[in-house]
Amino acid sequence: MLLSIEPDGPVPIYQQIRDRIVEAIARGRQPAGSALPPIRQLAVDLGVNFHTVNKGYDLLRQEGLLRLGRKSGAVVRRDAGSGPPDPAWARDWTGRLRTLLAEAAAQGMPAIGIVGECEAAMADFAFPAAAEAWQGSGSPP
Amino acid sequence: MPAVTRPTVQFGVRVPRERAGAPVIRRERRAYYWRTAAIGVCCTLVAVATRGYGSWWLSKIILLLELAADLGCFWVARRKIAAVKNADGWFAGLRQTVVADTSWRTDPPRFPVRWLVPALAVLAATAAIGALRYPGLPAHIVNGSGHRVPKAAVSILIVAGQLYFTAVYSGLMLIVYRSRPDVDAADPAASMLRYRRFLAALTRALLTLVTLIDTSLLLVALPDWQVYRLSGIGRALPVLPFAAGVLLLAAVAARAGQGGSRLNGNVRGLARAAGTDRDDDRFWKAGLLYVNRDDPALVVGARFGVGWALNFGKPVAWLFIAGFVAWWAALAVLGAAAGI
Repeated sequence: MLLSIEPDGPVPIYQQIRDRIVEAIARGRQPAGSALPPIRQLAVDLGVNFHTVNKGYDLLRQEGLLRLGRKSGAVVRRDAGSGPPDPAWARDWTGRLRTLLAEAAAQGMPAIGIVGECEAAMADFAFPAAAEAWQGSGSPP
Repeated sequence: MPAVTRPTVQFGVRVPRERAGAPVIRRERRAYYWRTAAIGVCCTLVAVATRGYGSWWLSKIILLLELAADLGCFWVARRKIAAVKNADGWFAGLRQTVVADTSWRTDPPRFPVRWLVPALAVLAATAAIGALRYPGLPAHIVNGSGHRVPKAAVSILIVAGQLYFTAVYSGLMLIVYRSRPDVDAADPAASMLRYRRFLAALTRALLTLVTLIDTSLLLVALPDWQVYRLSGIGRALPVLPFAAGVLLLAAVAARAGQGGSRLNGNVRGLARAAGTDRDDDRFWKAGLLYVNRDDPALVVGARFGVGWALNFGKPVAWLFIAGFVAWWAALAVLGAAAGI
């Protein structure tokens, strides 16, 4: 996996590391059970502080996407084929999605444009085939 | 040297890939070649003309002056390119990225241990020949430069020298294997493939050089141990393996370029990235010394020529230099004490 960050960009580096790894999992490039580099080695490769990588990995651990062990190192815990997500996480995600869509609407983005952007992004990712894997929240949080 | 450096680093100045052929860069490269060639010719003429007149150190002073003048040429070119780069804002509006390949850690390249075997064999042969010849030698022997020295000092220093070169070069390459690879942000996948090939080729060439250095030391020791006598042009024999090793290493480095930048990287199906390398000139002092306290890397790719550089922002790098100096100082003191 090629992990690209913008050290001088507006997004914090730990957040960029977390986002790139989530994208790699979604694309199927880091399947469940695959290893990620140890924190110190990734910090060396990116030329950033060890604590920055640690913070990015810890975010992924809290989201249930990564398992951090002393012996096993950093291992991907979930991917598109790991079954339906935790309901609490799904409710939180729906809330964040609504906020994102509200931002687009508030900025005057047409609905067809939003759908087009979503479809383009989704074409990149590997989704589970079974529709019953997701019931949806159906109502705003 | 500029020809083997990465196209995105010109005379120690980071430039975007699309600016690598800028007029100021082409002009300064031409000027650098002419200036260094002229300096080389002048210094050679002076060295030939003064041969036999000055003391033994005169040729070394001429060589030092030549190196200083070459460094001056580098700095002139660097200053001119940096001035144009900053005035025209070459990096303005570009997406500057740093790319890491996680497979470098999860599927790391293997150190070619087998290429170390010849050096260890020469070392073992030297120790064995020394052990066999030692009891029959007089207490003091006359070495190649005509000095009368204790046999123990000569014998120990030869094997210690072989051990030093074998251990230091192997150790350095092991550190490099664990260090950060040079990834081109605009073409990361292909540049990683090239870097892996570059590292493998350069390590093999370096371990071959170690074998040849050990062989040279063995050839130096054999006359001292009275195995054979060399006279006339035959005295140059010990230099030949070392010279062959240096030429081989230079040829491999010139062929591969820094980080494998001169190797074929047109691999189909590899995605190119939208980013460009980060402008990191502020971390390179005088365009040659890397000083970045926030970077945890101890070793990074060299800015000029082929090889690697230490990050002097880390205290370990200074310890490294101190250890290197202390070793040679100790060796000089021991040599002087033994009368070599």
